[in-house]
Amino acid sequence: MTSDVSASTDALDRAVRLHVFGQAAETARVPQAPDVAAALGQSVTEVESSLLRLAAGRVLILAPNSTTIWAPNPFCAVPSDVRVEALGRTYWAICIWDALGIPAALHADATVRAGCGDCADELVLEVRDGALTRGEGIVHFGVPAVRWWENIGYT
Amino acid sequence: MRLFRSEEDIDRWRTVRDLPLGGTMTPQQCWELAEAWYADKLSPDWRRKTLDDAEATLAGIGLTDPFWNLRP
Repeated sequence: MTSDVSASTDALDRAVRLHVFGQAAETARVPQAPDVAAALGQSVTEVESSLLRLAAGRVLILAPNSTTIWAPNPFCAVPSDVRVEALGRTYWAICIWDALGIPAALHADATVRAGCGDCADELVLEVRDGALTRGEGIVHFGVPAVRWWENIGYT
Repeated sequence: MRLFRSEEDIDRWRTVRDLPLGGTMTPQQCWELAEAWYADKLSPDWRRKTLDDAEATLAGIGLTDPFWNLRP
């Protein structure tokens, strides 16, 4: 009985993961629990429980104290100051690592535009044929690696 | 983690906020990190990296300073 429940949960989590990431990749828009539930024929409650498990497993990031998907990373559900143009679409990312993660995940060319963290000047990075062909600026991590997941939003 | 125009911009940003210098990497290192981290993220068989995998990834792009240590 327990293993049946576990297998069922694993199957749902896999289906939710594939739907959320697939939609984010194909449309540059991140579906939320009601959208996922409708697409998979599940209840919103079941999908929300799945999202909480996926977040606990660091598969994706939820908005604080909610089941709203913030970042099925590298994709981001809301506009940010890190914009990625790829496959004729505009994607958003929560940080420069994830911004470059989008062409990596899509296996596509991309242009990344981000404001300098200090002066807000636009900086551009380009990925062409699987290589970084233009890379302006320098990346700074304020939080030591061992503490990244203490508050991933701040990181 | 944010992109800055220059090291001077990083220093100005963190001085105003009274923050220590963190870790830095070049855009090329960041691209290599992103590729290693996310190239399989859309795969049905994707699995989260183990701690050993993550450590090897960071070391593989030259991030060996204690700042990049993943173990408590």
